Amino acid sequence: MKFTTRELVTMAVFGALWGLVEISLGSVFHALDLPLSGMALAIVGVMVASIGRLFVPKRGSTIFIGIIAMVLKLFSIGSAVVGPMVGILAEALIAELVLDGFGKPSLPAFMSAGAGAALWTLVQPFVTGVLLFGRNLLVIWMDLLDVGTRLFGIPYQAAFWIVLTLLTVHLIFGALGGWLGWRLGLVLKTRLAVPASVG
Amino acid sequence: MLKQAQPAVIPLPAPKLLIGSRGHLGVFLWALAMVLLPSPSRGIILAFFTLGVLTLLYPAALQRLARPRWLVMFGILFLVNLFFGVSDQPADLTVLGLPLSSTNILTSLQMVLRAMVILLAADGLSSSVNIVEVAGLFERSGLRGLGFSIGVATNLLPDLRQSSLNAWHSLRMRGGFRAQWWRGTQLLVVTVLSNALRHAEQIVLAAEVRAFRPELSRSTPLRKGALDGWLAAGLTILGALMIFG
Repeated sequence: MKFTTRELVTMAVFGALWGLVEISLGSVFHALDLPLSGMALAIVGVMVASIGRLFVPKRGSTIFIGIIAMVLKLFSIGSAVVGPMVGILAEALIAELVLDGFGKPSLPAFMSAGAGAALWTLVQPFVTGVLLFGRNLLVIWMDLLDVGTRLFGIPYQAAFWIVLTLLTVHLIFGALGGWLGWRLGLVLKTRLAVPASVG
Repeated sequence: MLKQAQPAVIPLPAPKLLIGSRGHLGVFLWALAMVLLPSPSRGIILAFFTLGVLTLLYPAALQRLARPRWLVMFGILFLVNLFFGVSDQPADLTVLGLPLSSTNILTSLQMVLRAMVILLAADGLSSSVNIVEVAGLFERSGLRGLGFSIGVATNLLPDLRQSSLNAWHSLRMRGGFRAQWWRGTQLLVVTVLSNALRHAEQIVLAAEVRAFRPELSRSTPLRKGALDGWLAAGLTILGALMIFG
């Protein structure tokens, strides 16, 4: 990955913005114990990283932005923040892979990247919980069902519908985040009069 | 002939660093391996051992981990796995009148220890290695220019925070979020982003004026510790023996 000075600074700006979102909004969401706060943070973060991709349309730029945000988060509080760090890195990696898969930045690419990253927040407890903290899969599964029951009022027994609803919500909100990122990115490009390099 | 005057205060040589950046990274990776790789039968002993080593290396990190927030989290993790953990073994113990499975107790303890080790290792690493050194470590793994970018991002963070707050207050005081809150939010995001990118333009100019070129810049230096090599070798051998031996 070779970037020019301008690209490095642009990625630094977007990484700092993602880091700022994680540090400020993340702390507020954590303090308020809001439901689906991980999803909201992932969507906003990937939205910022996707806009960054519009300004640096090169392979590797999204993961680069994610690593900057992750490092800022690591040094933000002074205590261990393993979960969010893994989350940021995984979301950036998913967005990078999706955007690479599409080639040029486009609306479907942004929507897919947003949806993929949002979906990761649903999967993350199963990965980090088991691998890092040795939690039982069944306990994590119960937590997931509990979230679905509290949010949507679906009975505990209807596990299939809870999971389906959660999946749909994550996909829809993730795609909406991607759409918003695309729109805001285009507005920004016009406002800052950057030569268009998107398809 | 005049002799050069001796300075009144002779500076003492800087104390030699025992563990450098690579050493701390090695300790972090070793701690992860010690709790993620061993079989369940050895898990608890190895986790206790790793916790002991980490406590010796990072006593301040252990103090931070002893905060009520973390203690409550560990307590919940222990109790949830104790009462709802899955085990084929029936309850063979009675504690305070509650029938408990010894397997569940051991599994719960192992989970709590594993969580403690990982949090302690991450906290120890983040408090011992500074942000520039982390960038240097990443740069050496192929992400050229990351050190420069992280430096820019770190310096930019307070400005971005202030500029975002200013934009938020300006919009709010003009009633931007009342009638058309959605448009107001979009305007806020666009304002924050465009301010940040304009600031970036100034940074680019400043870097180019100083003839900065990422391909010619040196990687961020890493602190070398006197014990880095010994520590890496010792921990690797010890870890391998304890996990696989």
